[in-house]
Amino acid sequence: MPKTVPADYQSRVRKPHDFDAFWDDVLRQAAAVPLEAEVVPDPLRTSDDVEVFEAFYTSLDHVRVASWYCRPARRAERLPAIMFLPGYQMDPPIPKEWARKGYIALSVAPRGKLRSNRHFNPGYPNLLTYNIVDRHTYAYRGFYVDTWRGVDFLLSRPEVDGARIGVVGSSQGGGLTITTAAMRPEVRAAAAGAPYLCGFMDAIELTHTYPYEEINDYLRLHPERLAEVENTLAYFDGINFAERIACPIVMNIGLQDNVCPPETGYALFNRIGASDKQLNPYDGHGHDAGRSRHGAIVDRFFAERLLSER
Amino acid sequence: MNQVPLNFREYWQETLASLARYPACPELEPIPLRSTAFATLYGVRVTSVGPYRLFGYLSIPAGTGPFPAIYYSPKYQSVLEIIPQGTANLIRSRYITFSLAGRGQRNADTPYAAMFPGLLTERIGDAAAYIFRGIVADSVRGLELLLTRRELDPTRVVVVGNDLALMTSTLTSGATHVVAAPALFYKTAELAIRTHAYPLEEVNDYLRTFPARAEAVRRTLAYYDLRAFAPGLTATTLLMAGAPGTLFDAQALKPLVNALSAEVTVHESEQSLYRDGLYAEQWMATQCGISDLQRILPEHWRD
Repeated sequence: MPKTVPADYQSRVRKPHDFDAFWDDVLRQAAAVPLEAEVVPDPLRTSDDVEVFEAFYTSLDHVRVASWYCRPARRAERLPAIMFLPGYQMDPPIPKEWARKGYIALSVAPRGKLRSNRHFNPGYPNLLTYNIVDRHTYAYRGFYVDTWRGVDFLLSRPEVDGARIGVVGSSQGGGLTITTAAMRPEVRAAAAGAPYLCGFMDAIELTHTYPYEEINDYLRLHPERLAEVENTLAYFDGINFAERIACPIVMNIGLQDNVCPPETGYALFNRIGASDKQLNPYDGHGHDAGRSRHGAIVDRFFAERLLSER
Repeated sequence: MNQVPLNFREYWQETLASLARYPACPELEPIPLRSTAFATLYGVRVTSVGPYRLFGYLSIPAGTGPFPAIYYSPKYQSVLEIIPQGTANLIRSRYITFSLAGRGQRNADTPYAAMFPGLLTERIGDAAAYIFRGIVADSVRGLELLLTRRELDPTRVVVVGNDLALMTSTLTSGATHVVAAPALFYKTAELAIRTHAYPLEEVNDYLRTFPARAEAVRRTLAYYDLRAFAPGLTATTLLMAGAPGTLFDAQALKPLVNALSAEVTVHESEQSLYRDGLYAEQWMATQCGISDLQRILPEHWRD
């Protein structure tokens, strides 16, 4: 049997003293960029019950971000919305299932993803270490903002009830759910699975699988840059965002997760600031983080917090 | 099942003949960033039918070999991985690994960039021009290239992937083992109407938009149905079935299993990437005579 994972695992990440100032500055830069939201009907993907659109908006550095936007064909005037955030190498899916559950649904393709890679395309593998020695140009600076701007996109839509926005994702999507819930107070409920981008420097010692292994590859070639890498990643570590989360949040991790070590999931959860927080650790599960059992919990979680607030 | 097209053999012979007209012209470039003390990684450029230039990642273990090999046939996603996400990097110390991007995937997306969703129905109304005809040829070319490596032990060559793994191993010789998880080309039209999940939903989208093309789509898919390939497969096979009650569960795959002439083991998903993944790793290691499996498992899977 695999080893037991300590629930009180302590991450080595430290919060930089200017963490908040750094991100406040990034947000200021982003706010100066007009959203230029656009929705284009996609008749091929639209069915009787769900209308599908390709949606676009402009983000930091004037990068154009693509997304899928779905809404129930038969709906009330204003509905709650779910923003789905993608895994590291996942092609962002069309979130029809969320629309079928009664939500407006947005599935974001942050920069570098398929359909959002015209201006920025570091590739996979590579995204994780792109400009990793410089927090001001590190890949995830814009990538994070792209997901946060998704909230602005939803708020720009007349059919979205801006007081009922939820965020969901697993793996990288779980990590992005953490940062989005932390940085956007409009988010009223969040569900993060197997969160990636949390405890980077712990993860590269706890596991030697991709994508975290990209960092080990980089440091093997450039060992002298260790301090710079660690310094940059501290600004992007979900654990350092966690105390800002105030909305209800549910998390799930797999205790045999070979991609995002469960130790980092525990460290993250212990730092989340919200009082309404729940962690579901699944023994016998890997990077799926118990999805087959946890899916119903997530559905109920959002339904109680978003659908029932009519 | 749908009738196997009368010219099934000719269709694929013609495809392979077209592929044979283009020499592979491989270019290997070491990638120091992804090379370790235990394995060297190369970026590989190779020509397929079209002509179309593909890209792959080839990893060669340190030492003299010969080594068993794992060929990761093209996946249904835009990203090309060196080894599948979550696989211990140390697997590259025991196996030669080769992952290939089919046309349209990243690093092989010039001049054609595939969309996901979208690829599954690209030119699906015309069997002769269907995009997967080229992608299957790409996958065959990848295996052919791998088999040219002098470090490789030809008695231990595992092809891993979705439906393409099984098709590739049938269309060309050299694979001794197959690990396949059907997802695209098993009873496609029949199963698509029972789901809203992509990628099969692409077929539903397409037929809803172009209902007049239903018969043409059915004709095209008949050339790709795994049941038509199954009698030709000789490699020892591990079939990764879905969990009970899902579209590709063991019960649903029975006609495929019955049609396979190869020795086959069916693993029904336990809905755990840990348990399913560990089963596949153990199966491959046993088949390939890898005695120190624990060492090349991810840390969180080890005893």
